Amino acid sequence: MKNIFRNPNKSVAAKLIIAIGLLMIVVSFVFWYAILHKQNKDIMFIAVDYGETFIDFAKKSTFSSMSSNDREETRKVIENLSIPEGVHSLRIFDHSGTVRYSSSKERAAESVARGSQACKSCHTDPANSSELSPTPKKWSVYKDEEGNTTLKIVDRIPNELACFTASCHAHPKDQEILGFIEADLSLSLLDKTLFKQSLALTAYVAMFVLVVSICLIVILYKVVSKPVNSLVTGMGKVAGGDLEHTVEVTSSDEIGVLAKSFNAMIRDLKNAREERELWTHTLEDEVAKKTEEIQNTHASLVQTEKLASLGRMAAGVAHEINNPLTGVITFAHLLQKKVPKDGPESEDINVIIEQAERCSKIIKNLLTFARATPSEKGNVSITEVLNRTIFMLQNQAKFRHVKFDLTCKDEQYIVSGDASQFQQIFLNLFINAADAMDGRGKITIYAREISETDNSYVELEFADEGNGIKEEDMSKLFEPFYTTKPIGKGTGLGLSVSHGIVKHLGGHITVKSTVGKGTSFFVRLPMEKTNL
Amino acid sequence: MSKILVIDDEPIIRTSCERCLKPEGYEIKTTATGAEGLEFLKNEPFDLVLLDLMMPDMDGMEVLQMIKKTYPSIKVIMITGYSTVDTAVDTLRMGAFNYLQKPFNPDTLLNAVKDAVDPVESN
Ligand SMILES: Nc1ncnc2c1ncn2[C@@H]1O[C@H](COP(=O)(O)OP(=O)(O)O)[C@@H](O)[C@H]1O
Ligand SMILES: [Mg+2]
Repeated sequence: MKNIFRNPNKSVAAKLIIAIGLLMIVVSFVFWYAILHKQNKDIMFIAVDYGETFIDFAKKSTFSSMSSNDREETRKVIENLSIPEGVHSLRIFDHSGTVRYSSSKERAAESVARGSQACKSCHTDPANSSELSPTPKKWSVYKDEEGNTTLKIVDRIPNELACFTASCHAHPKDQEILGFIEADLSLSLLDKTLFKQSLALTAYVAMFVLVVSICLIVILYKVVSKPVNSLVTGMGKVAGGDLEHTVEVTSSDEIGVLAKSFNAMIRDLKNAREERELWTHTLEDEVAKKTEEIQNTHASLVQTEKLASLGRMAAGVAHEINNPLTGVITFAHLLQKKVPKDGPESEDINVIIEQAERCSKIIKNLLTFARATPSEKGNVSITEVLNRTIFMLQNQAKFRHVKFDLTCKDEQYIVSGDASQFQQIFLNLFINAADAMDGRGKITIYAREISETDNSYVELEFADEGNGIKEEDMSKLFEPFYTTKPIGKGTGLGLSVSHGIVKHLGGHITVKSTVGKGTSFFVRLPMEKTNL
Repeated sequence: MSKILVIDDEPIIRTSCERCLKPEGYEIKTTATGAEGLEFLKNEPFDLVLLDLMMPDMDGMEVLQMIKKTYPSIKVIMITGYSTVDTAVDTLRMGAFNYLQKPFNPDTLLNAVKDAVDPVESN
């Protein structure tokens, strides 16, 4: 709550509290003053009323003794009348100011000076002129020597029949005013009451202002300051990036609505941010995927280009070598006819012929493998080709101790391509597997259908129990001429050419291998859509 | 005696054919280009042409077509550097009598030639 007032310029609640508080203080003060003033007036009115009644009473009480000119009696009455506590003094004086009767003996000798308060009741300026006031006022209030508020009432004693006809003949008939009766009445009691009342009123007003102010502060704090503050901190947090923050909604007023819409805004913001993040992610993924695709395409292009140039080179080399080879073979034969049939020279020439023929065989193999583009495309049943290849191999010495497990014997997978090329691919995979297993073990072939982006593929897995492939050799597998086999046994072209063929058909070959456990080659080929 | 024309841009192939066939009693003429070969055919009669499939000046297939068009009775044996079933089938369809794959040995060559020129004798 303290921070409301720390900087009132920045707090709505503080401004409101200060404004309302000031207003309240001003209004209370006005009320306080008005009430006090009214009370004062009322009380004075009552006092004056009472004073006039007293004067009247005094006049009537002294009337009989006065008319009989009994001075002693009059003085007695006056003295008696001044006994009550509130009566300070009671005097009767004539127009010249000479005091005729007085309740107190000390003041009996005093004369009433011209210009004194008593004269001012009727005269505007009694000291200098005898002009009469247009608004005569019987009473006045003053402070006596002791500081007590005193009410002075002066009344005329008019001439009347009983006076100028009295036996004493003290007053002539034409005398209008015989004298004045003056009473000084103490108002100190009234003053005390008034003081007490005003004190109480002040206390009430102060209490009221205090209580209302406290209530106001508490209410404003609860209703305005706190929710506004939590909104402000909430906004600060959101601006700092914390979208998990929510503002507590405690009311249904405008601030509550503001908080609610603020929360809704944060939710929207959060959703938008999440969406954006998701987008960025998918975009990144997409870009990564596309990049990989491009790289793959590029790699396969390079690979295809490599293969194509390799094929051209092999064909050229074969063509060139075949010519001299023909010469070597021909002339070796010619030479053999000239030497004795069973002599050592004949033997040597035979070696020349044999080796030349071996060269020719190597070249023939190289040419077959180098030819990567399919010569004929047709619908081929993969299972059938697998069956045929396995059947062919089972009778070979190399595969005498190799077991084949074709798990997809009864399934049909139709692929577009050249059957002899598929056979070439499978043959190479089987030979590789048998080499890796040292001619002993099991080759398992699995086939499964895979659907990917509207295309369906058949994936053939060739799993062997061979020595496996080291991680660092994986990348070289499909490179032309990469081989770990002894010279004359491996050409390093099998996988490279197979890869080229499969790629050309829209598929690909991948490898998974564990050193010492075995290797799986995965050949994925796009399937022909068959009407089932 | 049968007259044989050898068209091949490779000298060693020409000499090989000559050395293999001459002792067997065949009359051999050789040339390095298809154009010259056709020139020879214009001037004198031949029984058999041994024709290389790949030559720098003219494609063996073209020469084969021209020979078959002008001299349908002359038999042609194609010599190929590397053969596929396709090219073999193609040359045979074009009218070639047979085809030889390099490198060949004297016996294969002799048998093919005998087959072409003296079918009765070889039987
Ligand atoms: N199933 C396998 N297990 C272990 N190594 C293999 C396997 N298949 C291929 N390889 C390795 O890949 C190399 C290349 O194979 P390939 O391209 O078929 O050529 P080649 O069989 O002529 O060596 C092989 O030399 C061998 O080291
Ligand atoms: Mg291999």
